[in-house]
Amino acid sequence: MEKTAAANRTVRLRIKRCDGPGKPSRWEEFRVPIEPGSNVISCLQAVAANPVTVEGTQTTPVVWDSGCLEEVCGACTMVINGKVRQSCSCLIDDYVTGNDDVITLEPMSRFPVVRDLWVDRARMFHNLKRIKAWVPLDGTYNLGPGPREDAATAERRYVLSTCMTCGCCLEACPQFDLEPDPATWDTSFVGAQVFGQAQLFNDHATSRQHAGERLDVLMGPGGINDCGNAQNCVQVCPKHIPLTQAIGAIGRAATIHAFVRFFRG
Amino acid sequence: MSQQTTFLDRHHFLLRRLHSLSGIVPIGLFLIAHLTTNSSILWGKLGLRGEHPEFSWSQGGAAYFAKEVVWINEQVPHLFLIELTLWLSIGFHAVLGTIYALTGRMNTSAYPYGANKRYRLQRASGYIGILFIFYHVATLRWGWTFLIPGGTAWSHNFASSTLAAALRGGEEFTAMGMVVSAFYFIGVSLLVFHFANGLWTAAITWGLTVSRAAQQRWGYVCAGLGAGLMAMAWASVIGFAMHSPAAAREVETKMHPDAAAMPQTP
Repeated sequence: MEKTAAANRTVRLRIKRCDGPGKPSRWEEFRVPIEPGSNVISCLQAVAANPVTVEGTQTTPVVWDSGCLEEVCGACTMVINGKVRQSCSCLIDDYVTGNDDVITLEPMSRFPVVRDLWVDRARMFHNLKRIKAWVPLDGTYNLGPGPREDAATAERRYVLSTCMTCGCCLEACPQFDLEPDPATWDTSFVGAQVFGQAQLFNDHATSRQHAGERLDVLMGPGGINDCGNAQNCVQVCPKHIPLTQAIGAIGRAATIHAFVRFFRG
Repeated sequence: MSQQTTFLDRHHFLLRRLHSLSGIVPIGLFLIAHLTTNSSILWGKLGLRGEHPEFSWSQGGAAYFAKEVVWINEQVPHLFLIELTLWLSIGFHAVLGTIYALTGRMNTSAYPYGANKRYRLQRASGYIGILFIFYHVATLRWGWTFLIPGGTAWSHNFASSTLAAALRGGEEFTAMGMVVSAFYFIGVSLLVFHFANGLWTAAITWGLTVSRAAQQRWGYVCAGLGAGLMAMAWASVIGFAMHSPAAAREVETKMHPDAAAMPQTP
């Protein structure tokens, strides 16, 4: 607390701005008063209340996306000082200690920018649909009780289920690139998020019946084999999901699936 | 599905896995055998098993290497088929590897994690490795002597002396010879890394190592193998570069008294 005791402390936010899809981006800097416990979102709220740059120019309020403000929805993910993370859980004091220091905010680079710090993560949800990331239950008659989940599997799956589709693992991945054209999404790399979710549902007693279909998708272009094992995904995942373990598990399932498919048809 | 499907897309899984497999068998396996043979310039005296007790440690190296080269060229059956398999495998691995590597965007400055640095080095070592293997095969196997400083042609019967001269740029070290030797040192080091790290990632690709602990344990095994191969690689390059061609030639003449002629150094 001592380090934040100074009164009238400020931080400068250097923000990469963009007025809309396809528009050029520019940098603007804002000076914001901070207090103990200030985070990036509270600073952005201050910018929105008084959108004047350090040069004194009146500008438009900076746009960002957010939802829960407690690091479970993933909406406020952005690149802070060059590294991807949620802005709601990003305390200013963890980044700067002095007065009037600079923090850089950029939108994620692997998703199309909607405006300023707000990006469109639709590709992640598109990919979840491709791998049928759900438990199939719909039908015309009562299917009765499902198979029991044993405690060990439930525990293994729980951490995978905490994925909030935030995009950190994809932003940090050297193999996952920006694909503005949705027509390319079915053949471009899906990334760690999808491998984690495929494993979550392939490991589920009922959803396992879709495992073959999921593997068929993940064995194609943009699937599991496009992973380069840089393992940044597991380092930046805010939920500490064992993504590289999921990648190994999907790789193993794909190996077995390929052999079975080759010899059994 | 996208409108145009390419050959690479249609056989995506098979090609990716063959790329992984080809790096281990036959390329990796050959690398182990090749470095074992080449490093004998240092430990060859042991390999002679009491033959030529009059030879010094250094002479023993040249003598054993000469023996090995003759054995490979005269005793190994279907040598041409083995070479053809290697050329095709290396070509396949190099072409596909380059295509795959070009899909990556390096970000080690923002995310300087160990695995990410190895990811980057794996690709860099691949590119430089292709250049090195091409130079190595072109000069010593295809006889493109115009790329060798001093122009020494490598010869089976004078394996150690001509190799030493090719590395040195002549009987004694020249400036260009030092460049060639340095290129060999960097080239083989990067290729050994490429193999050891590739062995580590291949285990994840095939699903052999799944848990973090398993990946770490296999990492130690790969690092150990890599360190051993690196020692052999350095022993080979340094061993030949420091070997006097004249001294090696003396041994080789004794080993192959019926050799047609001494190699010419233009």
